[in-house]
Amino acid sequence: MSTPIIDELDQEFIDSFRSPASAGNRIRDLNPISFAVIMVACAVAAVTLPGPWGPAAICLIYVAVSIAAGVSKAFLPAYGKLFAVVGLILFVLRAAFLPGEHVLLRLGPIAISAEGIAQGLDFALVVMALCGAMTLFFTVTPMKNLMLALELRGVTPRATYVILASFQAITDLGKNTKVVMDAQKSRGIETEGGMVGRVTAFVPILAPVFLAAMSQTEERALALDARAFNSRSRHSYLVSLQPVGAAEIALVCAVAACAVLSIVGAAFIWN
Amino acid sequence: MELVSLRNVGFTYAYGDKPALNDVSLTIEPGLLYGVVGLNASGKSTLCSVVRGIIPHFHHGELTGEVKIKGRDLLEWDPAELSKSIGYVFQNPFTQISGVKDTVFEEIALGLENLGVDREEMIDRVTTVVRELGLEALIRKNPNELSGGQRQKVAFASIIAMDADFIIIDEPTSQLDPDASEAVFGIIRKLKERGKSIILVEHKIDLMAEYADRIIVMKAGRVVMEGPAREVLVSDELSQAGVPYPEVTELAFALANAGKPLRSVPITRAEARELVSARIKEAPHAHSAL
Repeated sequence: MSTPIIDELDQEFIDSFRSPASAGNRIRDLNPISFAVIMVACAVAAVTLPGPWGPAAICLIYVAVSIAAGVSKAFLPAYGKLFAVVGLILFVLRAAFLPGEHVLLRLGPIAISAEGIAQGLDFALVVMALCGAMTLFFTVTPMKNLMLALELRGVTPRATYVILASFQAITDLGKNTKVVMDAQKSRGIETEGGMVGRVTAFVPILAPVFLAAMSQTEERALALDARAFNSRSRHSYLVSLQPVGAAEIALVCAVAACAVLSIVGAAFIWN
Repeated sequence: MELVSLRNVGFTYAYGDKPALNDVSLTIEPGLLYGVVGLNASGKSTLCSVVRGIIPHFHHGELTGEVKIKGRDLLEWDPAELSKSIGYVFQNPFTQISGVKDTVFEEIALGLENLGVDREEMIDRVTTVVRELGLEALIRKNPNELSGGQRQKVAFASIIAMDADFIIIDEPTSQLDPDASEAVFGIIRKLKERGKSIILVEHKIDLMAEYADRIIVMKAGRVVMEGPAREVLVSDELSQAGVPYPEVTELAFALANAGKPLRSVPITRAEARELVSARIKEAPHAHSAL
């Protein structure tokens, strides 16, 4: 006679909630608000430091931080794509169309000048530094940790839920679309092939997918209400964040001070 | 004191052309398990929504009659207070996952977080419920990637963990296999033993016969019968409402029609086993006794 298999309770996993959540990396264990301040300071420095070396250095700092944080495998390809697409387009547009005295190459109405290339490089690097700050922040910081940090600083659970649920809704919409597309395919409707065929198959399912999502939103709101989501008592948290230590405060202050100095420099020295 | 009382209650959804509930009068006493049975669209879920205050606080429409929860008029209740006092497990498992938690363990703890329960107590309560429902293998999994049956169990666990004294459970086993259904009913029995008041909507009439103290039979928005499970499950009103009898009750009726009635009409397998065993012992030739 076979005996039923009883799964063991993963006590190590349960015990992990008894201590602050840790990713096992000092950078990833920074408080999300601290890391946000650091990233904003980097972005400010990228805008105010003289180009192209200033923003280029900031971009390199992101790369170094991502390696140190152990997220380079996720960050570098994404950032590389941003550079290859957005950065390159911005550079080419600026380089091609900004007028300058030292024209290097003329192609019909397009005159590529040394000034255009310099400004294009500056502009593209600044934008890439701003994008990099965002990309690195969301690669390093789990969304739920950010929301928890915000809630602990007074943001309402309702607001943080809306943000988190919105991200989840995008994933859900994608899944639902795939389910409906598969259902269409099983009924013999052509959903693959050329662009026209795909669009023809895709457009009619948009309405049912969105209507279903709206109906599910109502049911989800009820399910949340059943979990006392609207309770006015103070919420508690299963997960806790790492305490913010003196070293972390010092780091944030130092980076913020650098940003302030770069603003002062831009105002009085190099601009 | 009665837990819930409804007097001549009717409800028509805002965009409905006919009432979903019609002249419903009921009293729900504390500490009992009430089973609600009826065909689809007979008003079972609407009745639960009224008792829980989702109607009229969330679903709007025309509510008539008088609804009192713990002696207080439904309209005087703060919806947030109701959500603490009455647990509700909904029918559709796919919309009961919050969508914002990374693991099943955290998902089950969500309600407790909202109630402000201390972390240690939260961990203990969630762990207990995980063990009771046999969810050990799921606790690390992402709730958004679970099957319908797994989601249903997690949603059920989430409400059980909140430990409300009064729980409404709407078709908790619709996505579950027989073993998992038995497990869920096992939990419901434990809740009953702990003195919880329960309203359970369920189509599995054999399980209902095992566990319900009283049964409410609904048809076309009306309560056609309410009473002790034993009375209701052998009554004509049950079949007139389109609800099947328990298997063993059907068997007893068939035997009675064949001129060989059992001493009494069983509603549970245990009762049937006893009656049939007695018949076999009494009969000189066992094979012809039935």
